[in-house]
Amino acid sequence: MQNRETIETIINNMVMAPEEGRYVYCIADSAQSVHLGKIGIEENEVYTVPYKNICALVHKCNAEPYKSDDAEVVKSWVIAHDRVIQTAWEKWGNVLPINFDTIIKEVSASSAEQNLVAWLAGEYEGLRNVLQRVKNKVEFGVQISWDPKGVAQQIMRTNKEIQKMEGEIAGKSKGLAYMHRQKIEGLLKQQMETSADAYFRDFFGRIKQLVDEIKIGKTKKPENGLQMILNVSCLVERDKSQDLGQALDSINNIDNLSVRFIGPWPPYSFVSRG
Amino acid sequence: MEPTRNGHATLVDLLDRVLDKGIIIYADLIVSLAGIPLIGVNLRAAIAGMETMLKYGMMTEWDDRVRTWERQRIEARKLLIKPDPQIEEQTVGILPRTGK
Repeated sequence: MQNRETIETIINNMVMAPEEGRYVYCIADSAQSVHLGKIGIEENEVYTVPYKNICALVHKCNAEPYKSDDAEVVKSWVIAHDRVIQTAWEKWGNVLPINFDTIIKEVSASSAEQNLVAWLAGEYEGLRNVLQRVKNKVEFGVQISWDPKGVAQQIMRTNKEIQKMEGEIAGKSKGLAYMHRQKIEGLLKQQMETSADAYFRDFFGRIKQLVDEIKIGKTKKPENGLQMILNVSCLVERDKSQDLGQALDSINNIDNLSVRFIGPWPPYSFVSRG
Repeated sequence: MEPTRNGHATLVDLLDRVLDKGIIIYADLIVSLAGIPLIGVNLRAAIAGMETMLKYGMMTEWDDRVRTWERQRIEARKLLIKPDPQIEEQTVGILPRTGK
């Protein structure tokens, strides 16, 4: 009886045993085969899998994606993902971050780790090229926002056409005055868009001159009454961010504008095409 | 102005990068996310609160225009510089996520 149970357990385990996987954090410019400690997602031990003079940072896991409906849980995973990349970045200076939740699995006869090495071998030239491109460079985020109320007031004060129309309201009947105000509002909206456009082009041009590469991101939702008009990621040579900082100071000093200068990060936004 | 990477606000910027950027490996040996709701989308919805976006239709429209302008700029540049087919070959497998 006991024997049969054991056999059943063994068979069950064989059928139910999840496939093996390797969670991949990043590629680093190093040939070292080392363990970095339990710094991974859910305190998993992180180690390197080398190929030639590059290596992948991984932890052992089941071949199942990490998923959760709990934003706090996901946040802790994302922070751990970044922690591993930052650790490798500080240790070896040059890394290529890999997208969150990338897990290489075993396929029939070849193990997850064999598949990873085969992938590194197949992509070796391409990975080396990207490593070369981002060498000694860091990523910064620049976000420029304006205070829409302040900008609107300024336009109302200075725009001749709007001033003229404002002047014409007096003496009009209630209904006509209302329609007139609608017109002014439309004109104001138009003026603000033109102004945002002009600012964008101006600031984008100024920033572009001071960085090696630049990528436009989507503007974020308004916060504390401020509307974002520019959101870019920049790739800059390490220790050469002072010029950018100065240029941003001069933008930050313009009325109704505020600048966020964030980073440095590993080159997250500059390792894939597009 | 000195850059900063501390605080809750920059955490949001970090999430954007970790979830959206980085190398994407396209191969059969990757655990598939097909059929599974994208973790990043859920997370961002929780953080951002989409309803406030709707209030600012004007800026959404403007944001689209800026993107169109940038696309056109890139297109214009492409006409000037012919892409090297060899480089195109080499970077297969490190493609950006599309359709976002």
